[in-house]
Amino acid sequence: MRQLILQRLALLILVMFAVTIATFASINLSDTPLKNFIAAGAELDTNGHCDAIRAGEMDDTQQLGQNVGDCEYIDRIKAENNLDDDIFTRYGSWLGDIASGDLGTSTTSRLEVSSILKDRLPITIRLVVMTQIIAIGVAVPWGLAAAYRANRGFDRVSTFASFGLLSIPNFALAVILLYIFGIRLQWFPTRYSNNGWYDELKSLFIPAITLGVGLSATYQRLLRTDLITTLQDDFVHMARAKGMPDRHIMYRHALRPSMFSLVTVFGVNTGALLGGTLVIETIFSIPGVGRELVEAVIRTDPPVVMAFVAVIAAGFVIINFLVDLLYGWLDPRVRSS
Amino acid sequence: MADPQLSVRDLTVRFPTTRGTVQAVNGVSFELEQGQMLGIVGESGSGKSVTAKTLMNLLPRTAEIEGSVMFDGQDVRQAAADGRDHFWGVEMTMVFQDPMTSLNPVKKCGEQIAETIRYHLGQSKSEALAMAEDLLGQVGIPEPGKRVSQYPHELSGGLRQRVVIAMALACQPKLLIADEPTTAVDVTVQRHILNLLDSLREERGMSMILITHDLGVARGRCDDVAVMYAGRIVERSATETLFGDSRHPYTDALLRSIPRIDQPSHTRLDPIPGRPPELINPPVQCAYAPRCRYAQPDCLKSIPEAQGVEGMHEFACHHPANTDQGREALAANVAAGRNASGMPVAGYAGTGGF
Amino acid sequence: MSDMDAETTIVGADVDEMPDDAVEKELGIGFWVCIGWLATIGLVALLAPWLPVTSDGAQGGPREAPSMSHWFGTDANGRSVFDLTILGARTSLAVGLFAIIFGMVVGGSLGIVAGYFKGKVDAVIGFIFFSLLSFPQLVLALLIVNAFDQVSLFTVAITLGILAVAPVGRLARAATLVFAEREFVLAAKVIGAKHFRIIIRELLPNVLIPMAALGLLGMGVAIVAEGGLAFLGLSVDGGESWGITINDGRQSRDLQENPWVAMFPIGVMFLTILSLNFAGDRVREYFDVRETAF
Repeated sequence: MRQLILQRLALLILVMFAVTIATFASINLSDTPLKNFIAAGAELDTNGHCDAIRAGEMDDTQQLGQNVGDCEYIDRIKAENNLDDDIFTRYGSWLGDIASGDLGTSTTSRLEVSSILKDRLPITIRLVVMTQIIAIGVAVPWGLAAAYRANRGFDRVSTFASFGLLSIPNFALAVILLYIFGIRLQWFPTRYSNNGWYDELKSLFIPAITLGVGLSATYQRLLRTDLITTLQDDFVHMARAKGMPDRHIMYRHALRPSMFSLVTVFGVNTGALLGGTLVIETIFSIPGVGRELVEAVIRTDPPVVMAFVAVIAAGFVIINFLVDLLYGWLDPRVRSS
Repeated sequence: MADPQLSVRDLTVRFPTTRGTVQAVNGVSFELEQGQMLGIVGESGSGKSVTAKTLMNLLPRTAEIEGSVMFDGQDVRQAAADGRDHFWGVEMTMVFQDPMTSLNPVKKCGEQIAETIRYHLGQSKSEALAMAEDLLGQVGIPEPGKRVSQYPHELSGGLRQRVVIAMALACQPKLLIADEPTTAVDVTVQRHILNLLDSLREERGMSMILITHDLGVARGRCDDVAVMYAGRIVERSATETLFGDSRHPYTDALLRSIPRIDQPSHTRLDPIPGRPPELINPPVQCAYAPRCRYAQPDCLKSIPEAQGVEGMHEFACHHPANTDQGREALAANVAAGRNASGMPVAGYAGTGGF
Repeated sequence: MSDMDAETTIVGADVDEMPDDAVEKELGIGFWVCIGWLATIGLVALLAPWLPVTSDGAQGGPREAPSMSHWFGTDANGRSVFDLTILGARTSLAVGLFAIIFGMVVGGSLGIVAGYFKGKVDAVIGFIFFSLLSFPQLVLALLIVNAFDQVSLFTVAITLGILAVAPVGRLARAATLVFAEREFVLAAKVIGAKHFRIIIRELLPNVLIPMAALGLLGMGVAIVAEGGLAFLGLSVDGGESWGITINDGRQSRDLQENPWVAMFPIGVMFLTILSLNFAGDRVREYFDVRETAF
């Protein structure tokens, strides 16, 4: 067990390196990295005019289309992101900064990336928590009902339904629910709002349902399969032989030993959801991590993009690692091996 | 004579499968008087476990059941159809083969006993736990107070089976079905468990069905023994009659395959050759004929009816052992070197028999 | 105990644990219905340039409800939603198809090589797969799309293809590991066949079957991912795809006044994904493929 943890930990560290390298490379691996750092609209200093202006060799008024403001902006971006250094040095210093908690500064809003993250992350976490509560809340009774009479009427219909649910793209479900509950029935707001906790809860409801319903189908399938196996165990027969009612057997005997793989997948999905809310956050204008990441890409804000991707991927990898450990702890067979 | 406590009449159980219908139990009938112990003996697939599960309403829903099962004047199959509460667990209950798997791994032992008491007898949680502790003491578990709050995996196999027995007895059932209760526990504790079951039965005046593949286990404990083969009871009588004067060649073969204290320890045991038949679309013949040392051509033509003294000693065989008819058949087969199905037949190497 | 135990057969176990239902070994009518739908959509997409469909505006009035002349209605710019759906199918299916082919070629080769040579090669390739899977799907897509200067049909397809590499590769590796131990491969090795020949002649045909099942499922995943990118404003610039049309139609006012702009493409997309999933699932069951990586 101990060795397994150490192996996993070594892999975790290696993967973190790979993830940061990939993230960094996707933005910096270019012959003119500056291009990837400056906002659309600002022009590249391809002719070296800025250098000339700085050196006093050229009057900025002589050069049309290239003014001092742009030069200052470009200089600042270059300095902040060490763009004059070679790529390896830059990666090293970026990684060092990130590791020490300095996530950099947004090139557009001038805000500390860490403070943006602090604003955005809690909202995404609230959305993820709501999603998981809904998913589990639906999946457990659903899985129990399906497994109780496996391959009978309800189970057949529910297998079909879960297949359908898994085939609806998240964004499509979001649009359908938005149309029905937001626009036709007007039970819920169509976009995020935050006037107190109840208001926020209400505005996060459809987004959470959208994400949760698909997940519940995944969870239900897992739970159903494991329950069907458990229901053939002797201790279930024993409980029936003791005359315990079916409901008691399902909830008190069969459910818990059937939850191992559900717990694993639940954990993995928690990690995946942190980076899986991009589209839903965009649709419902939820100012979470995903929407900020998308906006940072669109407005060309590399420090934000790199830091957010690194944080999301790190969260994903670390949660997977923890789930591995949790699984080992939950399942005696893994624990003893 | 009053009605017997348990009466099974013409019980037939079939399982439809994609390969065909499995005839798991075929026209099984037996009775059990209150306080008596019946042994049901047979190999895997003989239908003994399916018979027990039918009584306990534990068969999968696909099972097709015919025949009647009456217990204390109540129709058991009707109780199953009605989904009756407080019948199983209170009137009759069952103990399974493997104590490792018949306890819920994630619940404390005490809780598992107490939940039965709470549900059937409506006791409070603390009362039920106290009764559970008491029960653990009754089944001979040391330090019952400690065991109550232990998980099954913290106990040895023998102790676990005792916990299972305590659990089964929690609500004073009138009938206990024990399905191979000692197969999965250490040889050294098998006898303890069997003796415990026997003494508990006597104390409580409880009836019991002991299911086993080992005739030796039935001896000295069971009042009656029913031997099952391929879904049918092939021989049924009082235990002593069966051991002294068996009629069915299969019983005879079983008796020869168990070690006996009254024979020298080097006595060779005679295994039964071949394997039990497929239960899907069985041919119309005596199911045991392919393995039978006595089998004659007529055994391959019809399924033998039960004969003998009804309720005393019944057997289903055309050429019963320990009769002139049987001896003739066996002599003929030994002389021919084979039986009617072509199985080689030689004289017994051991002391008994031909 | 006697020899009886040794003679014990599984008949008893069979009876005691009777499955409620046995798996039927046939693809079934549902599979062919799905294939029929996919073929229809594919054919229409293929023939779209010769069909009287156009993404030009002002074919009808803006926001016309579905009618005989515009079956799916028109959007805010007067474009026929039916036409947009057909043109969108071209992009969505092309992207999905290309992505999964890319994934199968690149991921499949890497997976087979890893499974065949094992050792260090396997460790390195396995690590690449693991790292790719360490990104949430859309985040990785975002990162790759962002690395390109321009978003075109090609870059979107490449992006989604890269997403498919790791799952397909893992499956190919697992299947190769199984088959590499089989007699026919060992026999080929014994007679001195070259690695390349063994991989192409002996392994590839066997590994392709599970990959085909995953391919159908994976194509669905890629089509959905393209839709996701479209919602983020990062799919094909100025093109049509199901995702782009649905995204256009979901803006509040449009959704309120002409919900058909979003709903019809959603319906077509749903049926297509459902068909891919169902057909993939049937193929997987038919060939008894255990592992799914998606």
